[in-house]
Amino acid sequence: MQATSLRNPVQQIRMIMRDPLLAIVLLVMIFFVIVAILLPLLAMIGASVSPEGIPVFSEYLTSHVYLEIIRNTLVLGAVIGTTGTAVGFLMAFVQVKLDVPFKRFMHIVSLVPVISPPFALATATIVLFGRNGSISRGLFGVRYDIYGLDGLAIVMTLSFFTISYLNLRGMMLALDPALDEAATNLGANKWRIFRTVTLPMLMPGIASSFLLLFVEAIADLGNPLVMAGNYEVLATRIYVTIIGLYDTTGAAVLSVILLVPSLSVFIVQRYWISRMSVVSVTGKPSGTPQTIDHPFVKWSLFGLAMGICLLIVLIYGTIVHGAFVTVPGVRWDWTLDHFDFVINGIGSQAMRDTTTLSVIATPIAGLVGMVIAFLVVRKEFFGRSALDFGTMLGIAVPGTIIGIGYILMFNTPVSINLPLLGDIDLIPKLTGGRAVFGGALAIVLVYVVRSTPAALRSGTAALSQIDPSIEEASISLGADSARTFRRITLPLIRPAFLAGLIYAFARSMTTISAIIFLTTPQTKIMTQQILNEVENGRYGNAFAYCVILIGIVMVAISVLYFLVGSTTGTEQRIEGGL
Amino acid sequence: MSERDIRLKLENLVKEFPERGGKGTVRAVDSISLNIYSGEFLTLLGPSGCGKTTTLRLIAGFEGPTSGQILLDGKDITPQPPNKRDMALVFQNYALFPHMSVFDNVGYGLQTRGMSRSDIRDKVEESLGLMGLKGLGDRRPNQLSGGQQQRVALARSLIMEPRILLFDEPLSNLDAKLRVQMRSEIHSLQRRLNITSIYVTHDQIEAMALSDRVVVMNGGQIEQIGSPEQIYRYPASRFVADFIGRANFVPVAIDSTNNGTAQINVLGRECQVPLQFDYRAGMDVVAMLRPEVLSLREDPTLQQVQIEQTMYLGSEVEYIVRSGEQTFVVAEKDPRLQKVYSEGGTVGLDYISEAVHLLPA
Repeated sequence: MQATSLRNPVQQIRMIMRDPLLAIVLLVMIFFVIVAILLPLLAMIGASVSPEGIPVFSEYLTSHVYLEIIRNTLVLGAVIGTTGTAVGFLMAFVQVKLDVPFKRFMHIVSLVPVISPPFALATATIVLFGRNGSISRGLFGVRYDIYGLDGLAIVMTLSFFTISYLNLRGMMLALDPALDEAATNLGANKWRIFRTVTLPMLMPGIASSFLLLFVEAIADLGNPLVMAGNYEVLATRIYVTIIGLYDTTGAAVLSVILLVPSLSVFIVQRYWISRMSVVSVTGKPSGTPQTIDHPFVKWSLFGLAMGICLLIVLIYGTIVHGAFVTVPGVRWDWTLDHFDFVINGIGSQAMRDTTTLSVIATPIAGLVGMVIAFLVVRKEFFGRSALDFGTMLGIAVPGTIIGIGYILMFNTPVSINLPLLGDIDLIPKLTGGRAVFGGALAIVLVYVVRSTPAALRSGTAALSQIDPSIEEASISLGADSARTFRRITLPLIRPAFLAGLIYAFARSMTTISAIIFLTTPQTKIMTQQILNEVENGRYGNAFAYCVILIGIVMVAISVLYFLVGSTTGTEQRIEGGL
Repeated sequence: MSERDIRLKLENLVKEFPERGGKGTVRAVDSISLNIYSGEFLTLLGPSGCGKTTTLRLIAGFEGPTSGQILLDGKDITPQPPNKRDMALVFQNYALFPHMSVFDNVGYGLQTRGMSRSDIRDKVEESLGLMGLKGLGDRRPNQLSGGQQQRVALARSLIMEPRILLFDEPLSNLDAKLRVQMRSEIHSLQRRLNITSIYVTHDQIEAMALSDRVVVMNGGQIEQIGSPEQIYRYPASRFVADFIGRANFVPVAIDSTNNGTAQINVLGRECQVPLQFDYRAGMDVVAMLRPEVLSLREDPTLQQVQIEQTMYLGSEVEYIVRSGEQTFVVAEKDPRLQKVYSEGGTVGLDYISEAVHLLPA
């Protein structure tokens, strides 16, 4: 799909230099990836292999406590990978292969967890099913200890299955119905087709869902903080090491230990499994997809899927309801105090700060994603795949690790000493006390870094569907590359752009792990405030925060639709970033 | 052909689809009745949307008819699911299982039947040999060329030894040269195996080259059934005449009829033409003249025409000539033997009167 195919780097550079604007944009993007992603990572790795770090490595890797934590982390990843993929598969299968009522409802409910604030699901689940849960104790009289792997499995499966749902649903829809028909025509019944055609064709998708969920689960901080109990994982340990012990070296060492499985699984998923895919999106599908008619199979799958949907509705219902009562799960008196606290009280600053910073980060992430996608798909230059990979690191690396990298990298200004001029700050102090803009710049940067990969993926997918000759036509008609990008490319990939923007805003508003070490007294972030409320047992306030946060995200999505233009299928593209 | 030789019988087959976005229905197949004889190669031919593919999918069982019956060897198979029908379909995009090797693709149906491993191996090897695919059994479909994929698809269907082989525009994804080659391979394979085949296409040359009989369809109905020669020389309607090859149409009145011939005046000349249909004197009809029936000669007694275009095509010269309001396409064979007339000139237009065919107006 490249417009040119130059092998020689010198020629490539010359080609790009013919268009100075393009060269500048390329340099800016490279600079962004280096400063915002690579340098913090390197700083973190540097701290771990420093003279203070090396002994910590050997201490941790031989200690029973830490080996247990590592094992817990990997087990959690494997469990969530399995359950999340299973639930995603079920929901997708019901959606694509069954002719049952309420499919639209189930689809929407399956998408809801995308905009769930961290802790919301976990807290509501505790209110419902915990030791004093209104269902477990109230209805059944059981004192169920939900804390630990079982609780985490429930909550994280429901939080993350949307990823595998969208992934597998897309693949199932792309399966050529002619293959089913060919198998039927050769005498196979539905069960045989499922075993010999459908399932093997979806295998790469199932594997890739498992791996994505594995990475997501071992990186997650929010759910384990609330739900893990004694089941300690690396993410929570890193958090405690920084917040409780102020031990950045120890945290860096743990980060590297967490980085190894995260990154290797990510690389396997992205560069190996995704290439095994045999499902190709071709032109016109031939024939109509067949549905499963066997009544027992059909209705039991439907029942199972409906049960999961109702559970999600119940949990979200608890969040909304809990925001309006005195003490959720204990005293069910109607009150508006929690909203008063968030909107007019201490919470109002967090609300304003978080929204403002997200609003700043969103268009940047969207545009940077589209521009890098454009460069990667359309231009040929040395380091093209490195740029792509570097950008993807923003999401492949667990948020806590990004956060630690930022502390290590930007707690002091990066300066050089020039003769005559003296010390010049290249990059000012971004984090900690007396940081520029009260640390807000670092938070915006993290928001952008975490959201750009999704925009990049959806942009790349959209661009590879568009014939480069359309852009060449614009250039041959006298438009320069900036005008061509603005007038031709961007409008053509508008649905991808919109998906990138929506994802960026939702992600920024709900992220916790990456910014938890970066908030300062001057800059308050809602997710961090929610954690405070949850830790102090003030669930009502936490739920009110969540409801408002969800409300803000919904309003923002409507505004984005209005501004960028409505489109169909946007929700399918959101998965691109994970 | 006797009643006994009928392999497949379609009786008043109707298929209605709900109208897109509307409340009404669209009749894709409108009351089709048709016999397909054992060993015959029958083609459903027509423009897109004529109902030919829907008819094929009704036969294969992927669609259920709104009304009507399908009988296979005298047995009503209308309620049978597609996997229980003894037919094999070759798909337009081949529908090869991308996750299976060529060998597994071809052996899939046999495996479904529960045949033993060693028998499958033998049969698949034999089939691959027959289709010129020897040594490609381990490849994946995406490692094959278009023509090879086509052959795998064919092998996968043929190995089932179905009672009827169905083809859904199987050559439309191939380039022109390969299409001609595969066409002749299908032709010789079908004649050799004597397998009853139903073939859907919109390409009239393909239909003529392959078929024993051609069914020309339009708007969900059958316009004409006949051998390639019948439908080319004696089309039943203007639609068929136009769809099969090219034709010049001249409105004429029948002067008189006598003994199966009609007296008409075409291009200023009285002539007798054989009657294919029931026409009577005084009726307005249309005379169809194929381009190769017309010729140009310098003869002042003939109707004089202006030459508007001359196209030299190697094996023939094609002219577009005008006489008053009417234009004609004229195809002169083998230009080496004849004079090539240049554009702008005037010349006489001749025709072979025995080849004139009359159509309803």
